[in-house]
Amino acid sequence: MVGAIIIGDETAALEDTQSPSCAGSCRRPWATVEVLGKAPIARLAESLRTELCDAVSVIVNDPQDGQEVRTPHPSVADLAAARFAEYKGDGFDTVLVARCGAYVELDAAEMLSFHGEQGSIITRAFAGDGPLDLWMVDASALPCTPLMSALLCTRPAVYRSKGYVNRLRNARDFRQLVLDSFSSRCRLRPQGSEIKPRIWNCDGAQIDRSARVVAPAFIGRNVHISGECLITRGSNVESNSRVEFGTAVEDSSILSDSYVGIGLELSHSIVDGHNLLNLRHNVSLEITDPVVMRKNTVRGGDRQSLNGESRQMALSSTE
Amino acid sequence: MLTSGPIVVMQVPEILNVKEVHNFMEELGPLLESNRPRVVLDCSQVRSMESAGVEMLLRCLEEVLKRDGDLKLAALSPEAEVILELMRVARVFETFQTCEDAVRSFNAIPADAVPQETPWYTNVFNELGVLKQAS
Repeated sequence: MVGAIIIGDETAALEDTQSPSCAGSCRRPWATVEVLGKAPIARLAESLRTELCDAVSVIVNDPQDGQEVRTPHPSVADLAAARFAEYKGDGFDTVLVARCGAYVELDAAEMLSFHGEQGSIITRAFAGDGPLDLWMVDASALPCTPLMSALLCTRPAVYRSKGYVNRLRNARDFRQLVLDSFSSRCRLRPQGSEIKPRIWNCDGAQIDRSARVVAPAFIGRNVHISGECLITRGSNVESNSRVEFGTAVEDSSILSDSYVGIGLELSHSIVDGHNLLNLRHNVSLEITDPVVMRKNTVRGGDRQSLNGESRQMALSSTE
Repeated sequence: MLTSGPIVVMQVPEILNVKEVHNFMEELGPLLESNRPRVVLDCSQVRSMESAGVEMLLRCLEEVLKRDGDLKLAALSPEAEVILELMRVARVFETFQTCEDAVRSFNAIPADAVPQETPWYTNVFNELGVLKQAS
């Protein structure tokens, strides 16, 4: 049996200190940020579950509602070690450990057979530009604690991954992943349905008739695009976000639960609630004016229930 | 006769929120009421600007233009540049790399106002030559 442990901690995303590396003020690793409808870490878990693994555990620091709820790094490591011990106890032969900082398209089955051929306790995946935080481990041969140091200190067999890799070290990498997906340079496919060539639309998305969406673009779950808006040049608006009247979004990503105000021109940027990262000027700004940008507190579900109410009202008035 | 006073250079505060806008306008407001006000706003220290700040800049520009003056922005910090672009007003203002450049621009005669290649009287002499030949 093969198990997998995916660790999504902030230390995995802090390699590049030159440019803003994490989304928003709570410094989430980019791998845990929703991109084209689903976070890379969730995509990895899903692909491992369908392709190879009998069980997949995801351990992640997940600050809720913008609060800085941080599980200290040792706790994440402890949780991973505990899960590893459980896998051992349950009789799993091999465990794949991934510290999710990068987006990797791994051929896990090929790596497993390579691991078997090598007869090594640990096999580590490498991309063209260096090692990846992906290990395949003989569960019985490796001590449970401390798991990460055991992985890093043991000399591994080297597995060369041939698939697409995006290190997701900074906002620029994140935008590149979006563009690579739009141009099919990687296997990451936007969620939802392709309503026009290279325009994806998810459930509950509302696009005003007078708004213009130019391919390639992605409109996420329960997103509201108001009248006279323009979404263009590889932009993605993630779930539960709202773009107000007349705003143009060009070559930008609006992360989930963000509100973008009226008549703005957003270009070469990433918006996360009230945080704005401009990639052209390499500037990170906290917008204090809620009229301009803020965290969107009106959820799609709320809007749907409101719509339901108004529909009911309309029905009762006709009865 | 048209006269103009000195060129005023003022530093825009680091944070331009409603409160700071009020304080800043108390200082700048009287200067805008002079005849042909010429103002340079040094934006090098700006780190954050609310919509009230952008509104203030537009109001100042409107005031100086009404009085046949001008307002120019200089040394924009990247933050100020991003906010002005975001609010779609970056192209409304004339901007300069440094305050010195902005001040100098007030005194410069526009290049297209001066003929660069042929003097104005060339055509007159040409026409005279044609007339002479005809006679």
